[in-house]
Amino acid sequence: MNEYKFSDIKIGLTESFNVEIDFSKLEKFLDISNDTNPLHIDRKYAKEKGFEDRVVHGLLTASFYSTLVGVYLPGMSCILQGIDIEFSSPVYVGDALTIYGKVSYINEAYKQIEIKATIVNQNKKKVSKATIKTGFVDE
Amino acid sequence: MNREQIFKHVQDIFRDIFDDVDLIIHDSTNSDGIEDWDSLNHINLVSAVEKEFNIRFALGELQELKDVGAMIDLMEYKLK
Repeated sequence: MNEYKFSDIKIGLTESFNVEIDFSKLEKFLDISNDTNPLHIDRKYAKEKGFEDRVVHGLLTASFYSTLVGVYLPGMSCILQGIDIEFSSPVYVGDALTIYGKVSYINEAYKQIEIKATIVNQNKKKVSKATIKTGFVDE
Repeated sequence: MNREQIFKHVQDIFRDIFDDVDLIIHDSTNSDGIEDWDSLNHINLVSAVEKEFNIRFALGELQELKDVGAMIDLMEYKLK
């Protein structure tokens, strides 16, 4: 886990990490959220609607934005204060995702930073983007 | 940018932050007059103003502001 302090943060500071989406992640998120929309659980239905396979829940993949700030940028000191997310492409079981985050704004007075974040799949296709606001604990 | 122009921009920012297209602010407006003006929205407000006007506030400056009018005055000073 990274331990960036507020004073370490500069505009443009970037972190990234990789995640593979396996079937167990989809099943666990289904159990947690109880979002049983057929797009997520019925392969036949999903294909009829024009998707390649069951679609992984958008908020499952968005949970990696939490990981981005809680573990990587800033990491230990993070206190998540807001996320705006837009989803642009579906994610399927078997996809390999890369989560990127880059500091885009620093509020010096209140010690809050904004991070422009994106998730891309193994084909370098952007599946979502987010603007994340995070503060710092114990500073 | 004169005070009136600054005020109009700031009103647009308030309307965006507080999700109220009809919100009217005055010099005397403060957090007592807007129900959703909590600590996080206060930070959102300051961040939006800093980015929109390309200015920066120090914590001490912000702590002395008693209402919108005082903030506009400070902004006008910083934009000169």
